[in-house]
Amino acid sequence: MTRFKFNVAFAGLAFATLGSLAVFAQQPNFDVVEVKVQKAQGNVYMLVGAGGNVTVQIGAEGVVLVDTQFAPMSDKILAAVRSLTQGPLRYIINTHSHGDHVGGNLKKAGATIAGGNVTLDIGDAAQGAQIISHINAYKRMSAKVNGQYATPTGAWPTSTFIGDDKKLYFNGEGIQIVHQASAHTDGDSLVFFRKSDVISAGDLFVTNGYPFIDLDAGGNVQGIVAGLNKIVDLCIPVYGQEGGTMVIPGHGRLSDMGDVINYREMVTIVRDRVQDMVKKNLTLDQVKAAKPTRDYDPLYNTPGAFVTGDAFVEAVYRSLKK
Amino acid sequence: MTRTITIIAMAVLLGPVSVSAQLRGRDVTDLDASNSGRGRGANPAAKTPKEAAPIDLTGYWVSIVSEDWRFRMVTPPKGDYPNFLLNPAGAKLANEWDAAKDEAGKDHCKAYGAPNIMRVPGRFHITWADDRTLKIETDAGQQTRLLRFGAPAANAQAAPPSRQGTSVAQWERNALRVDTRNLLPGYLQSNGVPFSANLTMLEYFDVIKEPGGEVWIIDDAVITDPAYLVRSVKRSTHLRKQADAAGWDPQPCMVR
Amino acid sequence: MFKWAAGTLAACVVLGAVPASAQSNLSGVWNNLGILNEDWPDRLPGPELGDYAGLPVTDAVRARADAWDASLITLPEYQCRVHPSDYVSSFAGLRIWEERDSASQQLVAIHTHHFAWGTERTIWMDGRPHPPEYAIHTAMGFSTGKWEGDILAVTTTHLKEGWTRRNGLTRSDSATVTEHFIRHGDTLTLVISVVDPKYYTEPVVRSRDYEYEVNGDIGPYPCEPVEEILRPNGAIPHHLPGANPFLTEYAKAHGIPLEAARGGAETMYPEYRKKMAAMPKPDGAAK
Repeated sequence: MTRFKFNVAFAGLAFATLGSLAVFAQQPNFDVVEVKVQKAQGNVYMLVGAGGNVTVQIGAEGVVLVDTQFAPMSDKILAAVRSLTQGPLRYIINTHSHGDHVGGNLKKAGATIAGGNVTLDIGDAAQGAQIISHINAYKRMSAKVNGQYATPTGAWPTSTFIGDDKKLYFNGEGIQIVHQASAHTDGDSLVFFRKSDVISAGDLFVTNGYPFIDLDAGGNVQGIVAGLNKIVDLCIPVYGQEGGTMVIPGHGRLSDMGDVINYREMVTIVRDRVQDMVKKNLTLDQVKAAKPTRDYDPLYNTPGAFVTGDAFVEAVYRSLKK
Repeated sequence: MTRTITIIAMAVLLGPVSVSAQLRGRDVTDLDASNSGRGRGANPAAKTPKEAAPIDLTGYWVSIVSEDWRFRMVTPPKGDYPNFLLNPAGAKLANEWDAAKDEAGKDHCKAYGAPNIMRVPGRFHITWADDRTLKIETDAGQQTRLLRFGAPAANAQAAPPSRQGTSVAQWERNALRVDTRNLLPGYLQSNGVPFSANLTMLEYFDVIKEPGGEVWIIDDAVITDPAYLVRSVKRSTHLRKQADAAGWDPQPCMVR
Repeated sequence: MFKWAAGTLAACVVLGAVPASAQSNLSGVWNNLGILNEDWPDRLPGPELGDYAGLPVTDAVRARADAWDASLITLPEYQCRVHPSDYVSSFAGLRIWEERDSASQQLVAIHTHHFAWGTERTIWMDGRPHPPEYAIHTAMGFSTGKWEGDILAVTTTHLKEGWTRRNGLTRSDSATVTEHFIRHGDTLTLVISVVDPKYYTEPVVRSRDYEYEVNGDIGPYPCEPVEEILRPNGAIPHHLPGANPFLTEYAKAHGIPLEAARGGAETMYPEYRKKMAAMPKPDGAAK
């Protein structure tokens, strides 16, 4: 597929994207952040630094990255990839449009580690790594905010899909990019490396906080629950919920089915509690006062948490009111 | 060459004998026998049991009742004793337990005997009564156990049976081993689970330290009483060290 | 001739007197099904709903347990969920064996295999560090051990979320567990201390006893999840706040004050008996 342009129909999209990116305005001191490499399974690795986790698939054909963190981290990310392989970067897959996951697209897409960056698309020959996302993620990244694009044009996805999924075959394994509607945002994708048996979950699943439901970017708690259930359905454990399919969360530690199940349990139960109160016509303040996250706050509402318990409850409430 | 072979052979034969201290069963080192100072050839430099103590059991200790809570913090109802496998004789007595009758009687301390006292929630004060006797005092029931190092002399008059019985102590590697017998019949649990005068108890007291700094006594007890038990009871009780006597609250024995 | 023989003998005495290992050998099969003389109701049939007594619970984990529905474990993805390493010693057999470097005979690791769900754990004895915080957590966690005299002290991190009681009292994935394996003859005592500041205000300390089985054997534990109850995809059984009708059963059945059944650190201490004596028994309590 060649790059094609969309006309942005809604200014609100642009605002939403800017709003989403503004959430990340408070960024760490990138100079002191190190990128750590953690093997997931098979050909797939997880990079941990600042921003979202990066997934790296390596092999004879080159490199696939899932997400690219913040732009200032690009050199360190590329160095980490180089520690694993000298192969060329062929594909970038974005799980969604937030800046801590796509900020590094531009530099990485243009990076030539070794050899040419020829994708399977003649039209893109020597144009750099192909950047793949769901169409909605592209729309958010290419929206205009105050006359400027939300992300640099060179960082935009060059290949989008509009259906339920997109499939690749690379480095000896099938890669299934599965869209999850209206979850963290409206442009979420899971990336399933089938032979390595690793799922890159994006911010549908994190281990270190409540989920961020970006309502303004089309997110909804029902989509988060559905997405987590989808991950559970895709996973096959070795035994007792453990091992087997590895799951790389958008933020946090390397996980497996058991971790996703625990997280799903929390999100579902909080959703059910808020839903029960919505049915009883309680106001948002009344719902918050009922503290429906009180049993999970010690785990997820930690000091400095990106999403507080109250913020999560509010997002769930507003999701259910739609 | 012959010399070399001989050296190697002797090293192989003699080396492993004392190198391995791996415990594969009871490894009784009766320090007290060698330090008794009695008999011929006594070593004048031998340490007393107090001096030889490999662990420090002294101080104030408190029960942390995180196990068997409803059997220890309250008196359970009659017939509630799932932790014990009683034979018909024992079950009959347990099921006929009459709390009111015990309360009306003079002896309220049947559940405070040596086989159960360490599990009664309370505080324990352990000191050296002398160089050869460890003393355990309890605030619950105001009981005293005397753990004496060394077997009683052959010609000593046997003490009468008592609530705490006769306890013989010895250091065994890094633990205190205590053998107790000569008990008055009593209860293994406050709701009348019986034990007979023939009960024997083997305990090991260990001291462990947690990374957070807490020091614990672990009292491992094996209770054998064929009169009422189908098989031996094994249970371990943990007591946490206190800095001082805070909370020390002497109370009489209670039936309920 | 005499000189070298004497010298040889002296050398052997020195060799033989090389500081002996003070370690215990824990290898073998250990069982505790016949000696469940502590916490039998908790460990075998299982704890009753609403029984939080004797544990230093926080309000958060109380709420978590209040919401817990036993039907959760009918879900296929929960059926074969294993007991975590800090809980699994509650019942059934255990096999322990050593792994030694064949050349040096240095102890590299101690392995355990539990009958319950056939879980296996490695306790690394070679001084290796624990993994970074972003490494995977497992039900067994990552364990390292060292000898404290003849007691094996084990530290475990990287545990998946687990439980302190099988009635909803959760143990978080941030916990650090310390265990002491104490052997005396044919008895093995395992003292487990769980430090989990997320859900417990003090360490949760318990001890489990095993006895050595000369002819011991551990059987397999296959587990295959099946759909037992048809439910909508993603349905999670739980009780809404205030809607759990079973929370007072334990207190009533055993004549224990409701407040005491709710647990908390003070319920672990002897002085709580006095406080309890002044509390009312629950309505409908068994006599």
